[in-house]
Amino acid sequence: MPQPSLLTDDLVQQLMAVGQVDILVGIPTLNNASTIGPVVRAVHLAFARYFQRERTVLINSDGGSEDGTPAIVRDLSLDEPDTLVVRHALRTTHRISAPYHGVPGKGSALRQIFAAADLLQARAVAVLDPDVTSVTPEWVRALVAPVVGDGFGFVAPVYARHPLDGPLVTQLVRPLLRAAYGLRLAEPQAAEFGCSGRFAADCVELDVWDTPLAQFGIDLWLTGRAIASGCRLCQAPLGPRTVATGTHRPGLSETFGQVVGSLFTLLGTQADTWLPRTGSDPLPVLGPPAPPPAEPARLDGERLLQSFGTNVRDLKSVLDAILVPETESALEAAALGQPADLRFPDDLWVATVYQFLAAHHQGVMRREHVTQALLPLYLARTGSFVLQHAGTDAASVDAALEALCLEFERAKPYLVQRWTGAPSR
Amino acid sequence: MAQMITSAVSQAAANFVEAIRLFLPRVVTTLSIVLAGWLIAAALRLVVRWILGWLRFNAACERAGLAQMLKAADLPQADVLVSRMVFWIVWIGFLLSGVDVLGFTVLEGLMASFILFIPRLVIAVAIFVAGLLAANFLWRATLLTAVNAHAPSPRLLAGAARWLVLILAGAMALDQIAVARTIVLTAFAIAFGAVMLGLAIAFGIGGGHVARRFLDRQFPGSPTERAPDDVSHL
Repeated sequence: MPQPSLLTDDLVQQLMAVGQVDILVGIPTLNNASTIGPVVRAVHLAFARYFQRERTVLINSDGGSEDGTPAIVRDLSLDEPDTLVVRHALRTTHRISAPYHGVPGKGSALRQIFAAADLLQARAVAVLDPDVTSVTPEWVRALVAPVVGDGFGFVAPVYARHPLDGPLVTQLVRPLLRAAYGLRLAEPQAAEFGCSGRFAADCVELDVWDTPLAQFGIDLWLTGRAIASGCRLCQAPLGPRTVATGTHRPGLSETFGQVVGSLFTLLGTQADTWLPRTGSDPLPVLGPPAPPPAEPARLDGERLLQSFGTNVRDLKSVLDAILVPETESALEAAALGQPADLRFPDDLWVATVYQFLAAHHQGVMRREHVTQALLPLYLARTGSFVLQHAGTDAASVDAALEALCLEFERAKPYLVQRWTGAPSR
Repeated sequence: MAQMITSAVSQAAANFVEAIRLFLPRVVTTLSIVLAGWLIAAALRLVVRWILGWLRFNAACERAGLAQMLKAADLPQADVLVSRMVFWIVWIGFLLSGVDVLGFTVLEGLMASFILFIPRLVIAVAIFVAGLLAANFLWRATLLTAVNAHAPSPRLLAGAARWLVLILAGAMALDQIAVARTIVLTAFAIAFGAVMLGLAIAFGIGGGHVARRFLDRQFPGSPTERAPDDVSHL
């Protein structure tokens, strides 16, 4: 049972009125008035179309919106023609909006959603991002059906996107997690996911919720937790993911610090799980993959590489403490020349990432500084990859990304050696 | 007359022998104190170094960036430096105690002054070490922020931040041990004021557009105003 303080009396009363449910969809919000409506409609359409016999509830956990988001969720009318089917659902449509308490951030919202799922003994839980405009009822079905129908414990999404999109995922998060945990997850850092009620209830009991990891990297932590807990994982293709253009998202520097800091911290806390694993296994993908968009995002590889040389020179004294001399020399050599001619090869990138991860683990300096120092190198690597593959087709880029993942796997013994080795270089 | 001279000389010789007889034990005592002090100080140096090694003091200094600064200044490792300081403070204490035993009027009270000086010295060293740590932290934070913000001359900015803190810490430490207090404070105030005024004028004249760009980036008019290739990396 959840701790009483996680759920207010008012929320408990509303939940008791709902009673036991089969499916719970959670939407954490903070000032999402302009985008929340279609997401709520999609959820209710999914309930009516695909889960007519199941008892369902939508819970909005709000972080103190000042634009009326909770009111929109509560009062949204479902009488439009395309949602007519909702009115003829076999079961009552439940919808609750409640503010969460605790550390501001998505972590606290998810904690409340999981606690509610635990109280309502939900069989399946799905979580959606309120800023995404491409959410369809099929997304909910894809995230929930594997849990309800096939007994999976965690469902990670697969987005349809060009392989040159999302370079932070493709160049760092995905290959590193794949090499570490030995599982080929396409989107380890996804805001949407599905899970069993049992997994949600187990997570509520853990003492991660008040840490920075929950505040800034809850999506990664949940993926890591699902792997470490040994529950059955699968992937569900969702189609293209489009975020509202007016959404205020943190800048690259902040995003990079949060994602990479959380990733490194997660690996630090779960070393016992991933250190012994070798190779990688594919995960079942339930459903046909959607075709990726023909055009990738506009990334200017030459511009990303422009400051590579000066950055390496400027950061020399910081890199001295993180990298081994051979890697540093190779970086310096790679940074010489005109931006258009610079290349950051796979093996050098893998060695760099592993040495940064080990330095983060060993605490050679403040951990935020380690992740901050990796950002210019990541930009250079991304620029190099984009320049190298800009003119090629998606299949070739996919092959190059697979080669990068294999390089991460091949070099894993080196990471283990550095991880378990002497603290100082 | 000759008898008087003989008597005076013999008296003087007797007095000299007596003085030597009285002074020699003091010299021996002083030497014993100095020798014992050296042994105790040397032993303490080993103990302090062992404790610092057990506490992984060098690794901590490396994390804080202090080790890098010591290396740049051609100084020994942090644990060696601290243990040497302990050695010299203890041995100088014994040395002054020994000198005090000799009973020289001019050296009287030296030991008392030294004992009063030690706490101030320790505080001054602590201030300076804290300043070193703060300076190094600020240097690295400034360097990384400047590099990631594509600011011009990141090393210059970071170095300026480091030296400002170091100068401030140095002035505070010197003020604590009352070394040329007036000169230090006046020099510091003039230098600090001059640097700040110079930076303000330089930035005002030459960096207006940089400030405008920075403010535009920090406080955009609307969330959709982004650089053309500022795409999501996730």
